[in-house]
Amino acid sequence: MTDDGGGIRTRGVRRAFGTVHAVVDVELEARPGRVTALVGPNGSGKTTLLLMLAGLLTPDAGEIRVAGLDPVTRGRAARARIGWMPDVFGTWESLTAREVLLTVAAAYRMTADDAARRAVELLDLVHLTELADAPAHVLSRGQKQRLGLARALVHDPDVLLLDEPASGLDPRSRVDLRLLVRRLAAAGKTILISSHVLTELDEMADDAVFLSQGRTVRSQSVDDAAAERRAWRIAALSPRLLADWLTTAGILAQVDTDGTALVELDGDEAAVALLRDAVAADVPVVSLSPAGGALEQAYLRLEEERR
Amino acid sequence: MSIETDRGTEVPPSGATPQKVPASDWSLSWQGVRTVAQLELRQRVRSTRWKIALVVWFVAVGLITLLTSGAVTMIFDDPSMGADGAGRTMFGVVVFFVLFLGLLVAPALTAPAINGDRSAGTLATLQATLLTPAEIVVGKLLAAWLAALAFLAASVPFIVWAFAVGGLPFWSLVSVLLMLGIVLGIVCAIGLGFSTLTAKTSGSAVLTYLTVGGLSVLTLVLFGLSVPLVTTTEQVRTWDVPVDYDWEDTEPPECEWRIQTQEVFHSERTWWLLAANPFVIVADAQPLAGTEEFENAADPLTLIQYGVRYARTGPAAEQDWCGDMWFSNGGDLTADPPVEEQQPSQSLVWPWGLGIYVMLGAGGIVTAVRRLRIPVHRLPKGTRVA
Repeated sequence: MTDDGGGIRTRGVRRAFGTVHAVVDVELEARPGRVTALVGPNGSGKTTLLLMLAGLLTPDAGEIRVAGLDPVTRGRAARARIGWMPDVFGTWESLTAREVLLTVAAAYRMTADDAARRAVELLDLVHLTELADAPAHVLSRGQKQRLGLARALVHDPDVLLLDEPASGLDPRSRVDLRLLVRRLAAAGKTILISSHVLTELDEMADDAVFLSQGRTVRSQSVDDAAAERRAWRIAALSPRLLADWLTTAGILAQVDTDGTALVELDGDEAAVALLRDAVAADVPVVSLSPAGGALEQAYLRLEEERR
Repeated sequence: MSIETDRGTEVPPSGATPQKVPASDWSLSWQGVRTVAQLELRQRVRSTRWKIALVVWFVAVGLITLLTSGAVTMIFDDPSMGADGAGRTMFGVVVFFVLFLGLLVAPALTAPAINGDRSAGTLATLQATLLTPAEIVVGKLLAAWLAALAFLAASVPFIVWAFAVGGLPFWSLVSVLLMLGIVLGIVCAIGLGFSTLTAKTSGSAVLTYLTVGGLSVLTLVLFGLSVPLVTTTEQVRTWDVPVDYDWEDTEPPECEWRIQTQEVFHSERTWWLLAANPFVIVADAQPLAGTEEFENAADPLTLIQYGVRYARTGPAAEQDWCGDMWFSNGGDLTADPPVEEQQPSQSLVWPWGLGIYVMLGAGGIVTAVRRLRIPVHRLPKGTRVA
C-alpha cells in the first residue's frame, strides 16, 4: 500500500460488539500539522474508533490508514508511529512517574540512556519533575492524566490519539495542554483529540469531525463552524431599551430574564452590522459575544437537526 | 504574559534510538522480556501482601520441619532402625509439604496476571507498544516463576536441614529441588494461559486450582478406577502348599509349583496415569533407594516412588504363596523359596510426567500469546480492550 503522506484516514469503518453497533460508518481525515477534534456524545463510538486507530481492535469493515499504514496488517510498524492516550488511565500504581516512562520507553525498544534522558524531558514537559520519584498512586487524577500524556509521547510519535485528555485537568493544566498540543501540531504531528467538552476544543482544534451513533455526521474546520449561523448574546445597560430596539428593528431575539438577548447571526460580519446598528440607535450596549463555542453550537444544531 | 517561556512547552525531540520493529507476534527479545519481567517484579516486591506471604510460608515450612524432626527423632531412637531412615523420612516429609504449599501458591502468582491487568486498564498500555505478545507472556511468566522460586528458596534451609540428617545421596537434594522448581514454573504457565481465557481473576484462579488439583488427586482416582479395566483372569505359576497338606500337621509343608487361575492387575498398562501427578514427578526424580532403605523409611516421597515403580513393573510372573503360610506356622525361614522376588522397575517415571507437564505448560503459553495478539477480532465476554 502507498504512503499517502501520513495523517489519519478512514473510510466506511464499522465495528460491532455482539449486537451493539459501536461504530457504523466513519469517514475521517486528520492531516499532519493540524489538530482534529473528534466530537460526539457519550456512546457515539469515539473510543471504539480510537482503539481501532491505535491498532488494538480490528474493524469489521472499512479502511484505516494511520501514518500511511494499515494498523491491522502492519500493526507494529504503525504502532511505532502512534502515541495513544486512553480515556481510562490505568497505571501501575506502585511505580514512580519516572519508572512508568522508563518502562514504556523500554517497551518501545529505546536504549537505557535514551530512555532516561527522554523521561527527564517529558517529566519536565508535563510539570511532574517534582513528583518524578513519587509512586503513581499519590498522584491526583489530573497529574495521572498528564503522566498519561507523557507516556503517549515517549517514542516521539507522528500521530497522537488523545482520548479525553483534558478530563480531570485544572485550568492551568488545560492551558498547558492546549499550548502543548498546538506546539506538537506546529512540529508537523497529526493530532486527533476526542472530547465531549467542546469549549476546550474550540481553542485547540483546527478541524472537527462529528460523530453520532457511530456515524460521521459532519466534518468541517473550526473556522467554518465559527462562520456559520449561530447564537450571539447581546447585553445592554437598559434591558428595556434593548428589547424595544430589537422589536422595532424587527430582529428575532430571545430576551432572557437577566435582560440579555440571544440573536441568531450569520458569522462575524453580521455581528459587526448588528452592533453598529444598535449603537447608532443609542442602545447602551455593553457586550456582544458568541453564546458558547463554535463547536458547541455546531454540535447542538446537529443534534437538533437529527431529532 | 508568556506562558511558553514561563513553563516551557517546548517538545523535546526523542532520543536517537532507531526503533527496531519486531517481525512477528512470536518474536522474543531479551529487552522486551526483561522490561515486562522487571515491571511485574517491581510491583510484586513493593506489595506488602507478597512479603507477608513469604514470611507465612517460611514460618509454616519451618514449623513442619521442626515437628517432623521431633517425630523422626522419637521413631528412630530405637537403635534397630537405621539412621539412614531418619534422614530419608524427614527429607521426604518436608519436600512433600513444600510441594503441597507450592502448588497452592503458584496458581495465585499467575492466574490474575493478565485478566487482572486488563481490568486495571494497564494491559492495553503494554500491548499498544512495540512489545510482542510473546514478550509480554514470557516476561510475566519469568517474573511469576522467579517469585515461585523465591518461595522455594525460603524453604531451602529446611530442606537442607532435613537432608543434613543424613542417609541420602547428594543427587537426591539436587534433583528434588530442580524438579520442584520446574513443576512450579509449569503450574505458573498453566495459570497464565487460564488468565487470558476468563474475564475475572477469580475464574482463572479456580480453573488453575482445578487443573492442579485434578493432576494431584484425579490421576490417583483414575488409576484406582481403571483397575477393573486392566485386570484379567490368567493362569499364574504359584509356589504353594500341596493340596493334600494337613493343616493340623506340625511339620511345615513341602511347597510345590502349581498353576492357578487368578485375577491379575496389570498396572504396567496404567502407571502413566500416576506419572502426571506432581507428587510422583518430584518423588521419582530422586535416585531409587535400595530395598533396605525403602523398608527403613516411612516418608511419603520414597513410598510414592516405590509405589509407582512397582506399578510400572506390573504383576509378577510367579507368586510365592508358601512363604506367608510358613510365617504363620512358625516355619523354617532359612529355606528360601525358589520364587523370584518382584523388583521395582528401574525405568524412570518422571520423564513421562515431565513430558506431560511441558506440554501443558506450552499449551498455557501458546494460549496466552494467541489471546494477547492485537488488533483483536473478538473480545472475551465481559472484557474491554482498555
